[in-house]
Amino acid sequence: MSLDPTEPSQLIWATRGRLWGFRFLLNAGLTDPLPAYERAFEGLVDAPTVWHRVGQEVALRLLDPQGRRDSAGRVIPHEFVILGGLADSVGSVDDGMHQIWPLVEHAYASVWDSDTSPTSADLRFGP
Amino acid sequence: MANYPRVREQHIAVFGEAGSGKTVLVSSFYGPTQEGSYQNDLWDLVADETGSGIRLYQNYLGMRDSATAPMPTRFSTTTYYFSVKLKSGDDESAKKRPFDVLRLAWHDYPGEWFEADPSSTEERNRRTETFRSLLRSDVALLLVDGQKLLDYRGEEERYLKSLLGNFRQNLMRLKDDLLAEEGPLVEFPRIWILALSKADLFPSWDVDTFRDLVILKAADDLNRLRSTVEEFIDTPSALSMGDDYTLLSSAKFELKEDNADPVEIDLTKRVGLDLILPIASLLPLERRIQWQEKMELPRRVVDSLADGADVLAAALTGAKFTAVEQLLSKVTKSNKALKLATKALPVLVEAVKVTGPKLKEMNEQARARHNYLRAMLTQFKLDLEQGVSDKVIRTQK
Repeated sequence: MSLDPTEPSQLIWATRGRLWGFRFLLNAGLTDPLPAYERAFEGLVDAPTVWHRVGQEVALRLLDPQGRRDSAGRVIPHEFVILGGLADSVGSVDDGMHQIWPLVEHAYASVWDSDTSPTSADLRFGP
Repeated sequence: MANYPRVREQHIAVFGEAGSGKTVLVSSFYGPTQEGSYQNDLWDLVADETGSGIRLYQNYLGMRDSATAPMPTRFSTTTYYFSVKLKSGDDESAKKRPFDVLRLAWHDYPGEWFEADPSSTEERNRRTETFRSLLRSDVALLLVDGQKLLDYRGEEERYLKSLLGNFRQNLMRLKDDLLAEEGPLVEFPRIWILALSKADLFPSWDVDTFRDLVILKAADDLNRLRSTVEEFIDTPSALSMGDDYTLLSSAKFELKEDNADPVEIDLTKRVGLDLILPIASLLPLERRIQWQEKMELPRRVVDSLADGADVLAAALTGAKFTAVEQLLSKVTKSNKALKLATKALPVLVEAVKVTGPKLKEMNEQARARHNYLRAMLTQFKLDLEQGVSDKVIRTQK
């Protein structure tokens, strides 16, 4: 369990860094977030941006707003499953960009260029 | 009809780090065969699962029409089953042929599974299962990322050592798990081809240039990897690693100068992809003969090497399948060395060793007689010959 009070608790967040590969940086308190992630994104096309609501959850995919790339030169995607009340206010990719991205951008900025994948202790969500 | 279609299945494992081009490769292998203008007078290539085929073709169209590379593969693996379906031919030759469909299983998975531990328990389980599947393949391609070689120009050994070292470490991690039940593995890829992906980045290179670089910069690491693989398998002398090399390029990527975004992806400029089917279907048979000529192999190993050699040999030479099958069965049962086996089985050796004008003649005859299976296999051999002559592939002599 994270000790960071600013860590978003209603988000699953999967992304990668420049050198480290795809992994979950937020798990919404789930032991294994992969099943929930796959349910949310099931059947969706591999488009660069996605917004899709299923019941109370929203699947959201954004390309990195700063255009950061992995070592192969691909712009890094960020994928979120938004749960609970947080999902109510996200009705589009644009909403996601304005409401969800600011919750994680600070944490991402400090780890995306690391040589190795970050641990939860490396992530600082507050400003 | 219960026995129709008769299917022969070959598995190919493509190992490569994230971003090394695995998904682009499989998309570019399949995509062109689905274009309206594509013609092949011998066979049709289809994806067994419609959804997978659509996804690959969508990747291909994205590259062709919008210069958009596929999204990275993440968290899960997909095994694409492709069927090479032979044209019908006349009833008689179609009825007699030992198989009607050559099926290729191609596993695609997230490259980072080679680089770090997954962040999810389920993903970790999938990784283990995927590696188990990959390591039961007939042939393995280990991708050397051309872009990384460029990034490390002048000190390529740093990248090559890291690639081969990471791969070796991952194998070591799986060793106990893989060997726990039965000890050294009989069924395991015994042909490991080092493949330079994104070879279009090196327009002046041929396969010898690539091979020389690997040997110059990373021979020790390759030997260490080979030693590690030897620890996994029954009869480690029957292993080719560091003997076979190829160039692969899924397309020619024109990139913007200020970033790595593609401006144009020219999928007509592919290198080596036409060799995938010949490699998967014929190289194991050829290697089996080479090894059996050099050494005595246990029957269990012979059986696992190019299982179905009888079928391929019969199809290539036009001999009666049942006769070849019986002969092979006798030889493998008696567990004799190949020197003897080759005497007993001229048909198998003939199938492997026929080359040049004779092979071309066989191909033309098979086409004229609408013997599509024989025409396809002789064409594969011709393609491999051409690949060697063009210096796109280099195989063990």
